[in-house]
Amino acid sequence: MEHAAVQHAVESGSKIQDLAWMILVAPLVMAVGTTLFVPRDRTLAAIFNIGGVILSFCLSFVLFCVFGGGSAQCTPFEWLPIAGLDVHIGLHIDPLASLMLLVVTGVASLVMIYSTGYMHDDRSYPRFFASLSLFVFSMLGIVLADNFVMLFIFWELVGISSYLLIGFWYARPAAADASKKAFLTNRIGDFGFMLGILIVWSALGTVDFAVAKAKLAENPTLLGSMAGIAGLLIFMGAMGKSAQFPLHVWLPDAMEGPTPVSALIHAATMVAAGIYMLCRVFFLYTAAPGWPGPLSMLGDLSAATLISLVGAFTALLAALIAVQQNDIKRILAFSTLSQLGLMVMAVGLGAKAANPSAAMFHLVTHAFFKAMLFLGAGSVIHACHHEQDIWKMGGLKAKMPFTFWTFLIGTAALAGLPPFSGFYSKDEIFALALETNPILFGVGILVSVLTTFYMSRLVLVAFFGSTRSESADHAHESPGSMKWPLVVLTVPSLMVAWLPLGPFLSESFDPAHPVHLGDIFFGPFNHNPIAAFFGFGAALFGFSLAYSLYWKATKDPLPTQLGLLSKVMRNRFYFDEIYETIFISLHNLFSHIADWMDRWVISGLVVRGVSGLVDISGRALRLVQTGNIQSYTFFFTVGVLLVVLLARK
Amino acid sequence: MNYSLIIVEITAVLIGLGVLMTDLWISPTARKGLGYSAAVALGCLLAFATGSLAPQHGLGFRDSFVVDDLARFFKAFFLFGAIVVILMTVEFSSRIASGLSEFFALVIFALVGMLFAASANDLVLLFVSLELITVTFYILTSFQRNRLASLEAGVKYLILGAVASAFMVFGIALIFGSANSTNFRVIAAHQTELATSPVFLMGLLLVLAGLGFKIAAFPFQAWAPDVYQGSPAPATAFLAVGSKAAGFVLLIRLLTQAVPQITAEWSRLLVVMSAATIIYGSLCAIPQRNLKRLMGYSSIANAGYLLLGIVAMTRSGSTAMLFYLGGYFFTVLAAFTAMCALAEHVETDEIAGLAGLGRRSPFLAASLTLSLVSLAGIPPMVGFFGKVLLLRSVFESAPGHPDLYLLLGVAVIGVVISLYYYLGIIRSIYWGGNTPNLTPIRTSLGTKVALGTCIAGMVFLGIVPNGYLRIAETAVAGMESAVGGLKSPAVKKVSAH
Repeated sequence: MEHAAVQHAVESGSKIQDLAWMILVAPLVMAVGTTLFVPRDRTLAAIFNIGGVILSFCLSFVLFCVFGGGSAQCTPFEWLPIAGLDVHIGLHIDPLASLMLLVVTGVASLVMIYSTGYMHDDRSYPRFFASLSLFVFSMLGIVLADNFVMLFIFWELVGISSYLLIGFWYARPAAADASKKAFLTNRIGDFGFMLGILIVWSALGTVDFAVAKAKLAENPTLLGSMAGIAGLLIFMGAMGKSAQFPLHVWLPDAMEGPTPVSALIHAATMVAAGIYMLCRVFFLYTAAPGWPGPLSMLGDLSAATLISLVGAFTALLAALIAVQQNDIKRILAFSTLSQLGLMVMAVGLGAKAANPSAAMFHLVTHAFFKAMLFLGAGSVIHACHHEQDIWKMGGLKAKMPFTFWTFLIGTAALAGLPPFSGFYSKDEIFALALETNPILFGVGILVSVLTTFYMSRLVLVAFFGSTRSESADHAHESPGSMKWPLVVLTVPSLMVAWLPLGPFLSESFDPAHPVHLGDIFFGPFNHNPIAAFFGFGAALFGFSLAYSLYWKATKDPLPTQLGLLSKVMRNRFYFDEIYETIFISLHNLFSHIADWMDRWVISGLVVRGVSGLVDISGRALRLVQTGNIQSYTFFFTVGVLLVVLLARK
Repeated sequence: MNYSLIIVEITAVLIGLGVLMTDLWISPTARKGLGYSAAVALGCLLAFATGSLAPQHGLGFRDSFVVDDLARFFKAFFLFGAIVVILMTVEFSSRIASGLSEFFALVIFALVGMLFAASANDLVLLFVSLELITVTFYILTSFQRNRLASLEAGVKYLILGAVASAFMVFGIALIFGSANSTNFRVIAAHQTELATSPVFLMGLLLVLAGLGFKIAAFPFQAWAPDVYQGSPAPATAFLAVGSKAAGFVLLIRLLTQAVPQITAEWSRLLVVMSAATIIYGSLCAIPQRNLKRLMGYSSIANAGYLLLGIVAMTRSGSTAMLFYLGGYFFTVLAAFTAMCALAEHVETDEIAGLAGLGRRSPFLAASLTLSLVSLAGIPPMVGFFGKVLLLRSVFESAPGHPDLYLLLGVAVIGVVISLYYYLGIIRSIYWGGNTPNLTPIRTSLGTKVALGTCIAGMVFLGIVPNGYLRIAETAVAGMESAVGGLKSPAVKKVSAH
């Protein structure tokens, strides 16, 4: 099988290479082209950028169909050949990457089409599309990167483009702050990520994924006592991008960006980058665990186990917070956090089974239905004149039937009801947890109960009952450009889990241990009945709980019933406040020192000094250039003498 | 006499004469059309010259004329440059009150000089072709007769050019006197004996001074800013690309093909020239407010970078130089084409006059920005890759020559300084202060085509340099096999793979 794949790869190598480069570059060309050449033409900007992403999508589809489960490394350019560090720019295509390509470009295409409606009245419409294209390019770069350095570069590019998009309405202080917060929080994770890369490089002597994987397969103890640290540092990168505790604080604030951005970046792609990256470098987590001296008490505990704990904790924490949020986008944001936590948990648990496919599987299904939920929320917000509080909505079912039904399908998928895709992908995670760590299985089920509860609360309050505000009274169905992407997204939300993705993905990890993924209807009840039963039961339980509390409710009964706990949940366990007091005071101290250094040493001495010197010498040299032809002729003759003088030995 | 060797040159002369003759029969309003026809004719000639029908290799006219890969490489660029210059002249025509057709014809005659220079294998042909270029440029630079600045530029170029020619022809006489020949092959064959002859060395240095004038290298750079500023923009563009490149092809032929051993001994001279040229150009550009004058200093600095390729004295050095020159062609032509297109709508040549361009014409603003970014050596534009190749070739030759490390440091400092003034222009394009006039600027199709080609060239060569790099390598290797001049590559072959 593998041999055949390699053979296949060699034959179709060059075509695949061209295809992959085109997929990557098309959005970049459009982003740059729009910015430089049509910065004010709305129609052209939309056509170019949507066309670019759709082109990428079509090519990804071709790649997926033609290339199938093969894997290939596209001829790299040598980029930075320094002794000991050979960084090249190359693309790595395998089932994992080609699946992710489809998800990214597919969701991005729909989100961009949706944006033509949602952003229609915005003044900076072309800038919006160019930034989206830049984001898609960066994200595709992460997907296709074949080494750590390139991955890191695109990782940062994703950070920048998300900064641009969250702060798209930069005139709003909340949006500007949110973009800053997202960027800085990500930087913390990225710093750890970079240290992790440096450790891997120094231990393995390479930054290339394939080479590193081969080296580790040959000798699993190659990372030695640094295995655990390296794994955790690399995970810090994922912690930032995928918003895991304690770096989760940026994601809810990022909802200040336009809703299509939330759908694309903060539901389907950027936040999934962390999970994808962990899968890409999964070989690091299957290596023998090891800790340096001071941490030796951790013993056999592997980095992967710690990762699964962080994921489970994030999942539970975010689900609890979501229960008491009232802003429709924040509920979805915390639900995203919670689902990302489940995925991270699955990656960690997957290390024991040598296969993180379950996490990838949930990533794919989640990308589609969560994008749909966000776009649905955008449609609601658009209709209600930018009202985001669910208690000021109500009764939207009759006014916005398309939005309602698609939102309902998304909710069912997220809650994990069969036959919607979320049921199957969550079930795989539960089954994995049941096999490897029963306590985390319990956490997972609890999260599932909460998920169904808060999502049912959202739907019951916003779409049923009577309208509770004037803006909801005037709501009407959104235009076609916003409606149809929603309808299209129902298809993958329903069916993507039916595809046999397990064997397909296994090619990227360990073909010897294929995982069973992809079922139709009640398949999960046959081969892991306990997990399926609990998952299904959790969804039913969560729904009935929500139904009893929120059917026809006009205000939230929970604050009175739970009292203080509700307040803590509503205030997100005060993480922002805690961070603020601890970090801000520390930060102020550092910034005062840095300010002094900058003002007097760097700016005063170094910058002013050097630039002043250059400037003065420039002005002085200008005096030579008198414009007087006699002196020019004189200089010329002196020049000849100078040349003769210099040529003497 | 094998006249088929000079078929490209003959055709170019005929096109020039044709332009002059046709002008007699057409109305003055049709002169722009004449320019387009000349551009198309040169385009056909370019296609022919790069195709397989043109003479590929050969030596003729008593060994004074050589056709090899290097010559063909440069001819293609000269032809391309002339086409773009003619297109920008059409755009600029309102500023050239009379004699538009003569301007086209003169550009073509200068082109013929460059085509001959690309093939010169003899000091006499070198001199004659350079004179053909220079004399034509005396007229081109002073073509705006009603503008004092243009006349001043012409006079300065004439007098200083005459001084340079005098030194050069004196040098050639000295060389002939000591070597009994002006042919590069003959000189190359006897260079070991000639290296001990002070008369020969003196002659060579004087020729070097003449060529240094053409490329505007320190200490022969004084004319460049004044002439660049005063001349009509198309003439400046052709001066910046064509005339400079002609100087460089002759430098390559002379220094690395005819007298490589002597050049190797002059490494200190070349290092000082290169470093001083870079520093002078970069520093003087800082206080400039006039865009054309700034381009003059930028052209001086770039001559310094190009000299790095000769300083390296390796195959990879020459290859890097050719690569850089090619990219420089596209970049400078794009910048000047944009400037010509602006001339109609922006009153001054001052940088401040560009304010608001980002709104008035996004296309021209973007073209100018991209070419400045490339000149500043920022990836992914070709300027970045060219500079990397040049610096790397010097770096590879550096072990054993401590002064080369110094030169590398100077070059890097020059790049950093250049960022300051190039980005300053970009700032005034997009964020320039008070912009009284915001009327949109329309650009003609010819300009769009020329700019599009140049931008495509800049971006493409920057991102996918390999194919072009291989052509440059072949050109250098072909020259090397003809004479066996360069030493074998010091560390490894330059390649992006």
